[in-house]
Amino acid sequence: MKENMRTHKIIVTITFLYLFIPLLATFLYSLSTTWNKTILPEGLTLKWFVDLYNDPRFIDALWRTIQLTGGTMIVSILIMVPAIFAITVYAPKYEKWLQTIVLFPYAMPGVVAAVGLLSIYSKSGIPMVIVLAGSYFVLILPFMYQGVRNSLRTVNAKTLVEAAELLGASRSTAFWKVIVPNITPGIMVSSLLSFSVLFGEFVLANILVGGSFETIQIYLYRRLRESGHLSSAIVVSYFLLLLVLSWIMVRFSRRGTLKLKKKEPIV
Amino acid sequence: MSFLTINNLSLAFGEVNVLKELSLSIEEGELVTLLGPSGCGKSTLLRSIAGLVDPDNGSIVIDDKEVISMNPKDREVGMVFQSYALFPNLTVEDNIAFGLRMKKLNKTEIEKKVKSMIDLVGLNGKERSYPRELSGGQQQRAALARALVVEPKVLLLDEPLSALDAQIRARLQNQIRDIQQKLGITMVFVTHDQEEAMAISDRIFLMNNGEIAQSGSPVEIYTRPNSEFVARFMGHYNVLHADELQQIVGFDAGFQGSLFGIRPEAFTETNIHGDGIEVTGEVQKVSLLGNVVRYQLKTGTQHFSAEHLHRSQEYTKSGDVKTLYLSKEDVIPLT
Amino acid sequence: MKKKTNGFLWLTATPFFVLIIGFLFLPFIAMIISSFKKNGEAGFSLFNYTEVFTNKFYLQAIGNSVLISFTASLIGILVAVFVAYSFTKFSPKVQERLLLLANMTSNFAGVPLAFAYIVLLGTSGLFTILFNELSIGFLQGFNLYSWFGLVIIYIYFQIPLAIMLLYPIYLGIEKRWKEAATLLGASPLQFWLKIGIPFILPGIAGTFSILFANAMGAYATAYALVGSNFNLLPIRIGALISGDIFAQPELGSALAVFLGVSMIIALLINEWLMRLVRRDLA
Repeated sequence: MKENMRTHKIIVTITFLYLFIPLLATFLYSLSTTWNKTILPEGLTLKWFVDLYNDPRFIDALWRTIQLTGGTMIVSILIMVPAIFAITVYAPKYEKWLQTIVLFPYAMPGVVAAVGLLSIYSKSGIPMVIVLAGSYFVLILPFMYQGVRNSLRTVNAKTLVEAAELLGASRSTAFWKVIVPNITPGIMVSSLLSFSVLFGEFVLANILVGGSFETIQIYLYRRLRESGHLSSAIVVSYFLLLLVLSWIMVRFSRRGTLKLKKKEPIV
Repeated sequence: MSFLTINNLSLAFGEVNVLKELSLSIEEGELVTLLGPSGCGKSTLLRSIAGLVDPDNGSIVIDDKEVISMNPKDREVGMVFQSYALFPNLTVEDNIAFGLRMKKLNKTEIEKKVKSMIDLVGLNGKERSYPRELSGGQQQRAALARALVVEPKVLLLDEPLSALDAQIRARLQNQIRDIQQKLGITMVFVTHDQEEAMAISDRIFLMNNGEIAQSGSPVEIYTRPNSEFVARFMGHYNVLHADELQQIVGFDAGFQGSLFGIRPEAFTETNIHGDGIEVTGEVQKVSLLGNVVRYQLKTGTQHFSAEHLHRSQEYTKSGDVKTLYLSKEDVIPLT
Repeated sequence: MKKKTNGFLWLTATPFFVLIIGFLFLPFIAMIISSFKKNGEAGFSLFNYTEVFTNKFYLQAIGNSVLISFTASLIGILVAVFVAYSFTKFSPKVQERLLLLANMTSNFAGVPLAFAYIVLLGTSGLFTILFNELSIGFLQGFNLYSWFGLVIIYIYFQIPLAIMLLYPIYLGIEKRWKEAATLLGASPLQFWLKIGIPFILPGIAGTFSILFANAMGAYATAYALVGSNFNLLPIRIGALISGDIFAQPELGSALAVFLGVSMIIALLINEWLMRLVRRDLA
């Protein structure tokens, strides 16, 4: 059957041109000396990147973000993976519940979640950074759940555990020695996905902690009005990081078993 | 004059020659099967007839009309797919009526034809069901009705039964054959199952590597294979080199050729025509395959197999020595 | 046997559910309770909801959000319907790469996206200068910080998301259906009208409801672009709960409950429609 491939190529090219123009413009802006009267930048420079990486405020914000997201990720993986495993394998009749619970974060945009969290924890004395980390746990739950469950399914976790137990392994040995090594690639993919979601999170951070714990996104927001060039250097750095993360994810999902997931964006 | 003629049809996908200068002709009202292992080109040939793939060279003539450059819809062929390919958003009735509506027939005529098709394939009561509500066999009958109702000159069936389980498959084979006889329609049936091919066809075209390996009636193909490939594909033939054959039948049998095929059931327990060659072998293994018993035998260093109908009062065990008889004409020279 | 199972299960499931209850359910319940309380009073009242649905200011915020979300989602899905279909025409390897690119750009949202658009279309943005140089009349007066500007930027993040959601639905259309229809005399247009479109329609509608919900809840992009100056529902909620002087958390809760409920409805509609698609495939 003769399909008109040229039309499809044109459609796809235009789409990606449209999607990449804002990125390219930002990239060019981050490399230009001045660019506010002319169509093309007046000169090229790496000054903004040098400035950015010498700004202690930026380094602090970056460090805070890494601590916050990294810490949340580690705790989340340690708590979620065994729990999801135990429920799918040993209490499958509660899996339906879990699937419903996991949909809730989708129905709660950041700003709604923030309202609830503030109303319960704002006067509780718990540091708001901890509350933020807790809300991040909930935020990444859908991604982690999908990833872990798909991995468990592809490695046939139930049969593996039964085999291990018949050979004399205890439940926790079976989990750590048999299941974990097999689902690690899948967990890596959903962890990286979650990591990039948290790295770009602004709403909850801004409302819950705001200036008192300046993350990268908040730093960017505050810099927007001061220096456009510096801001674009941040955006470019951020996108390069996303690029590296996506690349690693693809590498892992090739080796592992996960396919590209549909995901909610961070808006 | 044949009804469907294919001449020197060639098709290559990149480096791979899927069809190699293939020619065949089919008579009106015949049911032929394209039989062969997967990848032999049988489905591609069928899809070329339908116009769903474009061959590089050659001609296809249906009812005196060259169709090679025609669009699929102008060729007046129908097709039944292995995956049924029923339209999921339409009921059985609407699926069957689809082709008639495309032809812009009037409503009463459509209703009449759809009704008689539903009767023919036996889907009464399922008119308003959606494909997802039908069993595999019912879906395939609906697909058959959908293809037949537009009265195509040739009906192409691409492994229509291979997704079904054995019992339903046997029933549908009979039903397809009955409908074909009743309507007198020309059918080309693709399958990889030699039993299915023998059960339903007037003629079989056995394909291998994009070529016709042998064609003929089921009996011809089964009893007179012309090559090792055909012999091995059609049954559990013993394929023996001249020296191996000599070990079994003795030195002075006087066969011409270098490779031979012998059907396992050609070894008989009694010397029926009196001219059988006596063959003695030690039984290595006995397997009961339902109504047939298969013996693995050994003469000298040569292994071969024989099959007989099962008779419950007789028990041959491993280690027994068995004497069998073989007619000369059952030793078939192969290329 | 049973006892052992429970041990492992309890040990692993307890912290998991404690966190979910603490950071998902309790806040949700607290928000609902707070929405029924009048500022500074003890009893329950419908005051906040009456306020939300009678005060022109809040009605306008809801109206703006609905209008912008609806327009951006509609345009986004119209574009994606064609683009996702074009995706399916490439070789599997290329398709995988295209999806990866779409996935990557869908990450480009929120504050960075707002910034990129300021660079492009802001007061001294690249395109703004270009339009002025070329004197393209109607574009000269373009204002990114307006209703129209917000729609433009919302469309940007809707398109890749819509592509990724629609693409698998197109994959559900079997090549054999098309072949069968062709052999039965249908033209490509007839195939799409009678089979293709009816089949994917629930999927498109479902995707639309996700896009709509996504835009309704979008906060960061608009906030970074126009701050509290533009009257949108999420921005109003943010201002009501975090503004130091004007904070009215109870009223914010009522608005948030309203937003949450509309999101849940949108997602339920999507669930229901997608079930129709899957049922057809079963």
